[in-house]
Amino acid sequence: MSRISARYLGKRIVVSYLTILVIMTVIFALTRAQPGSFVTSMVSPGMNAEAIERLREQWGLNEPLWRQYIDFMINYQTGNFGRSPNWGVPVWDLFVRRMPRTLILFGAVFIVGYTVGPLVGMYLGWWRGSKKDQSIFVGGLLAYSMPAFWIAWLFLWLFDYQLGWFPSTYMLSPFAQYEPTAVNIMIDVLHHIALPLFSVVFIGWVGSMLIMRPTMNNVVDEDYVFLAQAKGLSERTVMIKHAARNALIPVTTGAIIALAFLIDGSIIIENVFSWPGMGQVIVTAVLNNDYPVTQGAFFLLGVLVVVMRLLTDVIYTYLDPRIKFGENE
Amino acid sequence: MATEDGTTTGESLRERWNPRIERFRRGWDRYTEHRMGTIGLVLLVIFSLWALFPSVFAPHTPEWTAYLGTEPGRLTGEQLNSLPHPPAFGDPFFAPLGTNAGGQGIATLVIYSAETALYIGFAAGLLSSLVGVPLGLISGYYGDTWIDETIQRIVDVMYGLPFLPLLIVLVAVNGITTTNIILGIAVTSWLNNCIVIRGETLSLKERSYVESAKVAGASDARVIFRHIMPNVLPIGFVFLAQDAALAIITQASLAYLGLADFTALSWGIMLQNIQTAGYVYTAPWWLIPPGLMITFVAAAFYFIGFSMEDVTNPQR
Repeated sequence: MSRISARYLGKRIVVSYLTILVIMTVIFALTRAQPGSFVTSMVSPGMNAEAIERLREQWGLNEPLWRQYIDFMINYQTGNFGRSPNWGVPVWDLFVRRMPRTLILFGAVFIVGYTVGPLVGMYLGWWRGSKKDQSIFVGGLLAYSMPAFWIAWLFLWLFDYQLGWFPSTYMLSPFAQYEPTAVNIMIDVLHHIALPLFSVVFIGWVGSMLIMRPTMNNVVDEDYVFLAQAKGLSERTVMIKHAARNALIPVTTGAIIALAFLIDGSIIIENVFSWPGMGQVIVTAVLNNDYPVTQGAFFLLGVLVVVMRLLTDVIYTYLDPRIKFGENE
Repeated sequence: MATEDGTTTGESLRERWNPRIERFRRGWDRYTEHRMGTIGLVLLVIFSLWALFPSVFAPHTPEWTAYLGTEPGRLTGEQLNSLPHPPAFGDPFFAPLGTNAGGQGIATLVIYSAETALYIGFAAGLLSSLVGVPLGLISGYYGDTWIDETIQRIVDVMYGLPFLPLLIVLVAVNGITTTNIILGIAVTSWLNNCIVIRGETLSLKERSYVESAKVAGASDARVIFRHIMPNVLPIGFVFLAQDAALAIITQASLAYLGLADFTALSWGIMLQNIQTAGYVYTAPWWLIPPGLMITFVAAAFYFIGFSMEDVTNPQR
């Protein structure tokens, strides 16, 4: 921490907070700009104008827009997300139920993808120009170009429809035939997670590989790598301890972009595999004008990204001692 | 160009452009050294030909249906039950990649859809470059001033809005047309472009030729667009290619979620139609070609982009 001045950190925190406020404003404007409102979808043919009016009143849509905006800003910052008109439960409860499922799947994706990607990138950057590098790189780009849902369908066709090895939908078997012990549930979840995990990782590892490969290649020509080699260290030690460590910085930045990629991936993949997570909730909420849920989801994701950006700046100073923030403040 | 020292316009033009042509030729030689880049270009040329002259390559027109050809009429129940039909060569009809559930030839649809994919790729890539490159240049040139600060805060805000959900909202607000999808993709994808160009500009503006241009009395706009921009354009093209690839994949994802103009012909929409018709597992001749085409066209853009990165930034 000592490498970052308190003043700089303070300024960054204030700016991050303001960024979140602007993000919230944009979300508010966008949700209200959608044609219709969620009340439109609640209206049944038998309702008269008075009943519709009462519904609007109930959900606070008759308040002037500025009033709604102020309520939104205050309520969301205090963690009061309101009730979802679509699911009929408090938004927070909905998130609490759905979030862990998304985190299980995409936590696993993130760990596997972010281990494989930089490792492959490291080797490719180290051997740049060789036959092996060329073919793996081209193969990676091809995988990167595939639509996620299409490759998921192909895997489903092969492993579920043809071979029947893995189930195609849900997180747990609907009618469990086993004793509900922790171990059995774990095995069941692992069995269900295999295909979605493999589908996302199949595409996802390439992103970090693409960042790692060129930076690794730049590092290879640095003096300290030459020095390490001259000292007689093994190639492996030089590559991992001396070169890769310094090539990790852009990969860390890339982790935020990867996070965004994961959110996109979760939306598609959760829909393909009927995985009952956040991705499905977001799409349904947006398409049904469910303001509270849309706003809540965007708000949480916005806070997540802003906080991650702040954290990576701090992490940089540990990965590369040469970086100092707030020196010329 | 004005004539100088009594030479004709043509000669001075040639003189002026010769070094550039020479530089281009050297770049081209270096580019074709990469097999990957050459493959990408060949693929793109094939797809462009498909987009420009679909009727030459496709076995039928999109109006063609199995059994009936282009004649209006009705299918018998037996014929309807045989759809989607696996690949057939002349008996009972000619459809090299089979047909879909509506009786249209897959090969025909695949070839006629190339136009949409290329249109989305180029339009979204160009638009996001048109936003990202100038903003990056301005932000970098006025680094550490309020202008830079403002642009970077906008980038921060955009980063905080998740890409695909934001795109879904934008398309839902503006209506689902191909143009709106392109605009939405452009609005959300200029960020990386802007950040990288800004970083380049920050280092380029300290070079001596920028100093001399300033001393010679060049305005800020001239320094930025005449002196700095040519040096960042190669990176700009790399990002253009990547954005184009991303746009094509994203359009397919949106189609999968049901957000596409279903009157248009596109590979993403073909894939979505398989799902709605319920033949994902049983009609591989229908499932595989559109996805493969999306993969190839996106890969072509990536191949070109990364080979160009190598040409503009040789590290060997």
